[in-house]
Amino acid sequence: MSERITVTVNGSPVEIFRGMKVKHALMAFNQDLYAAAAQGRILVEDSRGFRIGLEGALSDGSRIITRPSGGQ
Amino acid sequence: MACLCVFFCTWSGDATAASRTVPLTILHMNDLHGHILPYLDKTIREDKMVSGAANFAAVIQRERAANPEGTILLSAGDMFQGTPISNVFKGEPVIEIMNALRFDAMALGNHEFDWGRETLGKLRTAAQFPFLAANIVAPGGAGLEGTKPYVLLKRGGIDLAVIGVITPETRYSTKPAHVADLSFLDPVSVMPEMIGRVRVEGAGLVIVLSHLGLDADQELARKVTGIDVIVGGHSHTAMTEPLRVDDTIIVQAGYYGIYVGALGLEVDSETRRITRYTTRDVLRPVVVDEQAHADPAIASLVDRYAQKIKAEFARVVGRAEVDLIRQPMAESNVGNLIADAMREAGGADIGLQNGGGIRADLPAGDITLEHLYTLLPFDNILVTMTLKGQHVLQLLETSGEQHTRILQISGLSVEYDLDRPAGSRVVQAVANGEPLKPDASYRVATNDFLVAGGDRFTAFREGTDLVYGDPLRDVVADYLRKHSPVKPAIEKRIVIRN
Repeated sequence: MSERITVTVNGSPVEIFRGMKVKHALMAFNQDLYAAAAQGRILVEDSRGFRIGLEGALSDGSRIITRPSGGQ
Repeated sequence: MACLCVFFCTWSGDATAASRTVPLTILHMNDLHGHILPYLDKTIREDKMVSGAANFAAVIQRERAANPEGTILLSAGDMFQGTPISNVFKGEPVIEIMNALRFDAMALGNHEFDWGRETLGKLRTAAQFPFLAANIVAPGGAGLEGTKPYVLLKRGGIDLAVIGVITPETRYSTKPAHVADLSFLDPVSVMPEMIGRVRVEGAGLVIVLSHLGLDADQELARKVTGIDVIVGGHSHTAMTEPLRVDDTIIVQAGYYGIYVGALGLEVDSETRRITRYTTRDVLRPVVVDEQAHADPAIASLVDRYAQKIKAEFARVVGRAEVDLIRQPMAESNVGNLIADAMREAGGADIGLQNGGGIRADLPAGDITLEHLYTLLPFDNILVTMTLKGQHVLQLLETSGEQHTRILQISGLSVEYDLDRPAGSRVVQAVANGEPLKPDASYRVATNDFLVAGGDRFTAFREGTDLVYGDPLRDVVADYLRKHSPVKPAIEKRIVIRN
């Protein structure tokens, strides 16, 4: 099993270590995007449109999409 | 399984079978991570708190009251680790709450191993419900001590099998020493035999309680026949509606107790097949408001621990003989202390901590747990990896380029000349008393924020043999307990010219 996985954030591939989480993928992609997610200014969703948490686990090929938050 | 072709508002299925059906309700939670106190999540509600055990207890009681004979309550794992009120008491309050709420079963999650096997054993002993893990093999070929692969429940005359599985990636996401003697098998390979066994034992419905993540749940449903429902966790996915993969229904209830999942099923009492199931609005939001009526017994239990945590936060973990002072653009004594703690805990050659992650100065004197939360407020964990000297040098150059976020170091000394062009500001770097060797390998202890590339320290991505460790606060607390009184000084680990 490879030590790294590749996920996509808003369509861009991001390589992270296996065992890392949604927040790490956002940090690796764009630290400001991570800060916005941590402050609740953006929502993070999976490829099916379901909301996912920043501590959520990722697998090779996972796709993450962000969008502005408006509360739910 | 019956053909599902007729839709009734939020239900899907064959309505003609209604006269012979039994209503079942699967209530479920996952990835609570110790969130038994309400908190503010502006992406859920701008104006109201969410979660909290007293509040999700009220939701569970209400849902159970609607179908008292036909309800089961499940957890898909990762319930304990994550908040001070749970961490300090090593999950004890969460287990008490789960017992009080009469959970029927829980799948082990990867974070259930974070505090070691002895603590896991205590939680297991305290639990009045089984911990399930069908794909963990201990030495000798048996399952993990004290766990079961599955449990059989009976509701409304229907026998239900609940089979638990955990992510095989547990080895990568908890401390290796805690799972070194365990094998985590591919759930796809384990499940056919498990389904065969529970069917022989009379199971009408097969529910997989999964801590695999939604992607892996879908793969499991595609590759293994005979699973009626997968109740999932691990990916923290708030599935507002179930997914259907072939004949399997998949649900997951988000994270941190923001939701309670409530899947309604109608099961044919003769064929024991699902004839209808809820297709929408399967998550019950846990929002704190006047209408919600928090459960008073659970509120009292949580309050008892909330009072105890105040005493724990005031507990002294160590003592400093000097003020611990940050220096955002230079070496600091508190940075040295933290980097030393990391290096020691990781058994590493070098310790590296981002200065921006240290958020307070502390006066000389006793250091309490509360001080440590002020000092290190971010929930970073220790990460140890192997890096080539050239990559350590790159990290030091990055530190020199953005010197307001300078790395605090241990096991290393570095001299910068800030007049030189970016990328060549390191004049000298010494590790283990010798100049840093570009081709040599060094074991480096750092934190997960930096390893992910935070503060543009991208050279960490070149690391190999990565090992996750304890939360950074615990690392520093352990170091203080061992070495107090401490008197960290400026030791010319970082020298800046110009």
